[in-house]
Amino acid sequence: MIEVKNVSQSYNRHGQRKTLEDINFSVREHTITALVGANGAGKSTLLGVMANLLPALSGSVLLDGTDVRRVKTNAMAKKVAFLKQTQLLSIRVTVNDLVEFGRFPHCAGRLTQLDRDKVSQALEYMNLTELRERYLDELSGGQRQRAFIAMILAQDTPYIFLDEPLNNLDVKYSVEMMKIVQRLVSELNKTVVMVLHDINFAAAYAGYIVAMKDGRIIREGVPEEMITRETLRAVFDFDFRIEKYGGKNVCLYFDNE
Amino acid sequence: MRILIIALFVVLVALSLMIGSLGGVTPKALLAGDETALRVLLYSRIPRTAAIILSAAGLSVAGLIMQAISRNKFMSPATSGTTDAAAFGLLMSFIFLSKQSGIVQTLFAFVFALVATLLFTSVINRLKLREVVYIPLLGMMYGGLISALTTAVAYRFDAMQMMASIGLGSFARLGNFAIVYIVVAPLILSVMYASKFSIIGLGEDFAKNLGVRYRRVVFLGLAVISLISAATFVAVGPLPFIGLIIPNMATSFYGDNLKKSIIDLMLFGADFVLVCDILSRLIIYPFEMSVSLTVSIIGGVIFMIYLLRGMYGNRKQKTV
Ligand SMILES: Nc1ncnc2c1ncn2[C@@H]1O[C@H](COP(=O)(O)OP(=O)(O)OP(=O)(O)O)[C@@H](O)[C@H]1O
Ligand SMILES: [Mg+2]
Repeated sequence: MIEVKNVSQSYNRHGQRKTLEDINFSVREHTITALVGANGAGKSTLLGVMANLLPALSGSVLLDGTDVRRVKTNAMAKKVAFLKQTQLLSIRVTVNDLVEFGRFPHCAGRLTQLDRDKVSQALEYMNLTELRERYLDELSGGQRQRAFIAMILAQDTPYIFLDEPLNNLDVKYSVEMMKIVQRLVSELNKTVVMVLHDINFAAAYAGYIVAMKDGRIIREGVPEEMITRETLRAVFDFDFRIEKYGGKNVCLYFDNE
Repeated sequence: MRILIIALFVVLVALSLMIGSLGGVTPKALLAGDETALRVLLYSRIPRTAAIILSAAGLSVAGLIMQAISRNKFMSPATSGTTDAAAFGLLMSFIFLSKQSGIVQTLFAFVFALVATLLFTSVINRLKLREVVYIPLLGMMYGGLISALTTAVAYRFDAMQMMASIGLGSFARLGNFAIVYIVVAPLILSVMYASKFSIIGLGEDFAKNLGVRYRRVVFLGLAVISLISAATFVAVGPLPFIGLIIPNMATSFYGDNLKKSIIDLMLFGADFVLVCDILSRLIIYPFEMSVSLTVSIIGGVIFMIYLLRGMYGNRKQKTV
């Protein structure tokens, strides 16, 4: 269980300008939660606080009832895997090395057969088996993104936070990625929180949508409640056209009056 | 690749044991039970060869860890003030405690090296420099400052002679070799922590996500680097370039996953210095030159080639 209680955060030293203001919400178990909102709304910051990478100014994040600040780094790494929005490509390693790093919380670098199997599975899942010996800097942006996601899969945690995982993925892989995430939830009982920019992906694949604006959660609910003209205008300051398609609401964002 | 490095290692160790100003240390003599030959082997050749292997392996690893921590291929103990601070620490132990055992000297050198390196890395982190070459340049200026201070203090306390005798690295120095065995401990630590050092190379948040305590591992890495630099400095003096070129050559082969490369890197570093040492003993036989000189010349040339190739490669990439 992850609960966010009265969390505020600020990047200023004295907290004059709040990046997050009084955030309260509980992560729905075994569901994909989509975090949506305009650029700068505070989505990444919230995930960072939830993963205990950033300290909160006030309030707390509880993981199974314990404040994350009191959870040991290694114990946390077995519970929560977090893929940041941008990856530092500072070292030259192969896809396989990277995915093996994902097993680090479990084996501290000494891989057992189980760890190797998990690595192979993750590579298989992300369709990277053929590229496993390639260096990351020799891959396309999307292939690299898949390699990082494979690492997160290998980490095999009950909670997975993904900050814009569809970055750099083409349509085929975006859809495939979302289906993989769905399978993680339905087959492996994971709980996923992901930042999505394409509202239609959120509507189609998420079980729950949390909308942020200016550091606050302004709406949350299941997709049917959230994909309305009124809600979306409040969140994005933008008029979407909502159409029914196959029983689901679809947003159109091109001005073609 | 590994087999090649190991084979070379075995040959070079054998050669290193055979060569010296006193002839007669041959397998034949040893097998025949020649006592002088045996004594020379035991008390002069083996310690010397061990000192070469350990200091070379140590400095290569120190450079590798330094480069992983700083995410900068131009970093090494010699470009972060570490070596110079070790020299300063050695001088301090000489001034305050006069003639001391190697252990105490190493301890002083270690503490000064660690403090200086911590200071440098924390300042660098605060500056957030974008251009990677500025950092080692700053480090060299910083090291220059420390060694100028060392010289000034040495003048003031009439310790110039002592400093001058250390000024050039040498494996011919007697008595202090035992100190180099201290290097074994940080070497074992660095093999154990190899994966962690690679992971912190991917950034603080990345490391934390994988359950690695970033600051602790960085501190441990800097301590390993400082101890290796201090012990090798006290035992054999400065060996320039090793910490720079060996890790660069190794990572261009193996990538930056330290776990894969660290053992080979040690052997490769040892191979390199063994060759340099054998050359410095043969060139003006039966005398020998300072191994620092040989290492500098050969290492400098290799580094230049490496730099030029890198620059050429970059330019090629840009135009494509
Ligand atoms: N390291 C930082 N230092 C100072 N301010 C920051 C920092 N990171 C983010 N901010 C500010 O905090 C606010 C929220 O940023 P955050 O990255 O959480 O937004 P986001 O919702 O993830 O946006 P995006 O969709 O662009 O990724 C922004 O106004 C941003 O400028
Ligand atoms: Mg973001």
